[in-house]
Amino acid sequence: MKVGYFFIPLAPYLLWLVWAALRFPLPLSYNLRSLWQRKVGSLTTGLAIAVVVAIFVVVLSLSQGISKAFVSSGRADQLLVLRPNARTELNSGVERERVRILKTHPMVAQDDQGPLISAEAFVVVMLDKADGDGGTNVAVRGMEPAGVRMRPQVRMVEGRWFKPGLPEIVVPRRMQQRFAGLALGRTLAFAGQDWTVVGLTDAGGSAFESEIWADAEELMRAKKRSAFNSVIVRLQREGQMADFKAMLEEDRRLKLEGVAEVDYFAQQTEAGKPIQVLGNLITVILTLGAVFAAMNTMYASVAGRTSEIGTLRALGYRRREILASFQWEAVLLCGSGGLLGACLALAFNGIQTGTTNFQTFSDVSFAFTITPGLMLQGVAFSVLMGLLGGFLPAWRASRIPVTEAMKG
Amino acid sequence: MSGNPIITCRSVAKSYWRGELEIPVLQGLDLEIPRGGYYALMGPSGSGKTTLLNLIAGIDRPSGGELTVCGSDLASLDDDELAGWRAAHVGFIFQNYNLVPVLNAYENVELPLLLTDMGRRERRARVEEALALVSLTDRMFNYPRQLSGGQEQRVAIARAIVSDPDLLVADEPTGALDAKNAEEVLALMERLNREMGKTILMVTHDPKAAHHARIQIHLEKGVLDKTVERHDPTHHDLAPLPPNDPRDGD
Amino acid sequence: MRFLHLVLRSLLRSRRRTVLTVLSLAVSVMLVAILQSVLFTLDSFAHNPNASNRIAVRHKVSITNLIPYRYIEWLRQQPEVDAVMGLQWFGGVYQDPKNFFPNFAADPEPITRVFKEELVEYSEAQFKDFVRDRNSCIAGHALMEKYGWKVGDVITLKGTIFPMDARLTIRGTWRSRRGTDEQALYFHWKLVEERFPSLKGKIGNFWVRAKNPDDVPRLIERIDRHFADAVEPTHSETENAFQLAFLKMMGDYASMIHAITAAVLVAILIVTANTMAMAIRERATEIAVFRAMGFTGTQVLGLLMVEGLLLTVAGGGTGLLLSFGMAGAVRQTAGTFLPYLADFTIAPETLLLCAHATMVLGILSTFIPAYRAVRRPIVEGLRAL
Repeated sequence: MKVGYFFIPLAPYLLWLVWAALRFPLPLSYNLRSLWQRKVGSLTTGLAIAVVVAIFVVVLSLSQGISKAFVSSGRADQLLVLRPNARTELNSGVERERVRILKTHPMVAQDDQGPLISAEAFVVVMLDKADGDGGTNVAVRGMEPAGVRMRPQVRMVEGRWFKPGLPEIVVPRRMQQRFAGLALGRTLAFAGQDWTVVGLTDAGGSAFESEIWADAEELMRAKKRSAFNSVIVRLQREGQMADFKAMLEEDRRLKLEGVAEVDYFAQQTEAGKPIQVLGNLITVILTLGAVFAAMNTMYASVAGRTSEIGTLRALGYRRREILASFQWEAVLLCGSGGLLGACLALAFNGIQTGTTNFQTFSDVSFAFTITPGLMLQGVAFSVLMGLLGGFLPAWRASRIPVTEAMKG
Repeated sequence: MSGNPIITCRSVAKSYWRGELEIPVLQGLDLEIPRGGYYALMGPSGSGKTTLLNLIAGIDRPSGGELTVCGSDLASLDDDELAGWRAAHVGFIFQNYNLVPVLNAYENVELPLLLTDMGRRERRARVEEALALVSLTDRMFNYPRQLSGGQEQRVAIARAIVSDPDLLVADEPTGALDAKNAEEVLALMERLNREMGKTILMVTHDPKAAHHARIQIHLEKGVLDKTVERHDPTHHDLAPLPPNDPRDGD
Repeated sequence: MRFLHLVLRSLLRSRRRTVLTVLSLAVSVMLVAILQSVLFTLDSFAHNPNASNRIAVRHKVSITNLIPYRYIEWLRQQPEVDAVMGLQWFGGVYQDPKNFFPNFAADPEPITRVFKEELVEYSEAQFKDFVRDRNSCIAGHALMEKYGWKVGDVITLKGTIFPMDARLTIRGTWRSRRGTDEQALYFHWKLVEERFPSLKGKIGNFWVRAKNPDDVPRLIERIDRHFADAVEPTHSETENAFQLAFLKMMGDYASMIHAITAAVLVAILIVTANTMAMAIRERATEIAVFRAMGFTGTQVLGLLMVEGLLLTVAGGGTGLLLSFGMAGAVRQTAGTFLPYLADFTIAPETLLLCAHATMVLGILSTFIPAYRAVRRPIVEGLRAL
């Protein structure tokens, strides 16, 4: 939910406000001083706005973290080959014969070590959470050596890659925060044998942060499997995607389905749906509450300054100058609250958490990532609240007659 | 109508504190006011007249001295007892009327009666009586914003007398009124004093208002300066003379 | 009671302020009510009193691994066991992936015994038909209503985990006490097994019904011990623990919800306290006049507190009413991808919590400014013009 969209209809009003601040004689310092004079009211409203914006930014970062985990995980020139109608690798199966056929296809890209194709085995194992709060399913991906080369966004940080044919695994470094017993040199028991952690990786926040990698053949052997789950293929050119997919379906020896890697991950964002929906719901509701509260404060402020406003009018200030001034006051008030809230949200940066992708039945790790862009969105949001909450009171202020100046 | 004075002040003193500094407002004041008196308290600003009024009305406590009003030694009453005493004995009239804006005239006047154990019917009778006295029966259900300044003050007066207190204190009752309304209000107060025997203590700047009172007490820097009696042939049978004050101009 | 009109009328003093305060309170309480209800609803699945007799037995490594069907013979022999049912999550799609509901391939005969508490009302004849017809299924009443199914209809489930289409005739339905228990569909495991030879002799998990809830811990321990050294070891747990594990997989939603609830309550307390303080400050003179007239400090404090409480209760009450309305929306949206929330409503425990929070809010936000106003000397208030 981009905050920017809300600003579009308000653009002309906003432009006028900026012009007013520059050209109108009533300085913004008057507003700042007025806010300061009513310290308690300004502080409490500012704090409430700060809380709302902090929640907004944190929830947004959660949502973004999930999206990032999926969307940035695919390459436009790579695709997954699956059994037809299997929606996920977990439910898919590709026999060795077909893998052999694929590896010889002319459209497949090559590097100096051979065709960029990796037949992969995908299993799910139960790991204990580091906080002792039970366990959850984690994905283990067995791949051929090409598979590592095809995913350059995953870098080795400590240790080394697994050797083919050996019970070795590499683990994303961030996973150590959430799961117990994943240190270099330690062993993990699954599929009936012990596997040694030989390397720690950094997957750049992509979906691969949630996967443990191993050698495909070794995993298949341990699991007594005869077929792989999927095959990942890199094509020579992006443009060949459509043709390759068609070929997969039509070739009678293959009868497989191809899904562009980018699409595959995008459709798995379903896991983040509940959190995103919840987040949006919470934000909308809180905004409403915050706008009402801001309106209340501004109305009280206006009511307490009727003679002051009347005097300003008597001195010659025009209605629209009063309107702009009070609107700015509301924006300044809410904006400061927003700034505070965005900074408060920073405290959450870097905290790792996860949810389960019920399609792959495995854990999806992601971190709260509070970026400057996100913080800016939070502040923009608070400015929006100031605009909405402050307009009616500002309008009211502008309509206060000159005669109020004479009254006590 | 002699007998015990309704108000007795002996060496009454009042100071205010500004941090460490003590600012005396009233210094050792002696005063006796008989029942049925109509007194005006006058003096320049800072003379302590409002302070004296507040002390007598029981909404402030003296720093020193003795104060007996309507038979009670005010210093011996705690805050709650003082509140109860005020409800029974004092009616207030303010310069700015101080009516509750969200209540209509009837409900404003009824307020003091809510503190008694009178039932609804009895309260109604009293309120109607009070409003009739101030000639505002037709405005009974109007709100203060629907009334003129003079009418508001009359409602305030009705409120002040509805529980039949012995003492009425008024702080600049005509201060916010124009000449005509001021006259009406002052005439009303005179009636209350003459016909119902209410003791009235009024603080005022307004010489015309002061003229309606029978005795004017002038304060200067916290002490009694002089006392002026109004000898009006048409009303002379009423006001008893105050006790001999050594500083009387006589 | 004679003072009631004073309090009520005071709220009308500034209609705008009263309305805005009530609205911002209502919105906040509504959010808290919904969030806490979601938490409560989800947690209740892991605390289902009806599930005390049931044990879930699955593969030790993962729920996605299959275990040998023959384990059922040993399980049935245990003296504490009443009935055992093999079950496999099928995860089939009916027409559109958006039409999500739990569907299982299972042993048909023991269903009514194992899930006695959930299958409250059903027809014996229908269930006999279901057991006899391998190509049939039974579905809960809520599901039948949702898709307009009638007994005798033929529906197709497209397999996702198992690449097959299941054409099933609906032979029966059941009614439960809760709508959430009517959301499932069961058909024959044999249908899947005969289609995929590699699955022969295997099953996803077992539901074991103990005769007596007290036997459950002992049974769990014995089952896992017995199969500990097998090629496919088991992991058994009570149904509530099983559900809890599933819920936990969704993430640490409990912490999130508690954190947001706390933040919102703190924010609204600050805002309301400020509003009350403002309102009372404005009435400094009026408060002084009341006390001059003879109202005691306690009486005035009482009037102000009642006023504050009425305001917050009005806000909270409105919020709770709104939350009931929103509950319907939550059911429609979240209920589709989270079957736990199909029956979502505001729990009585949540209502109580919100009611208490609102009253505490009212007391806290009003007390301090009211107390200070009443302690101020009367003459100060009168001078405050």
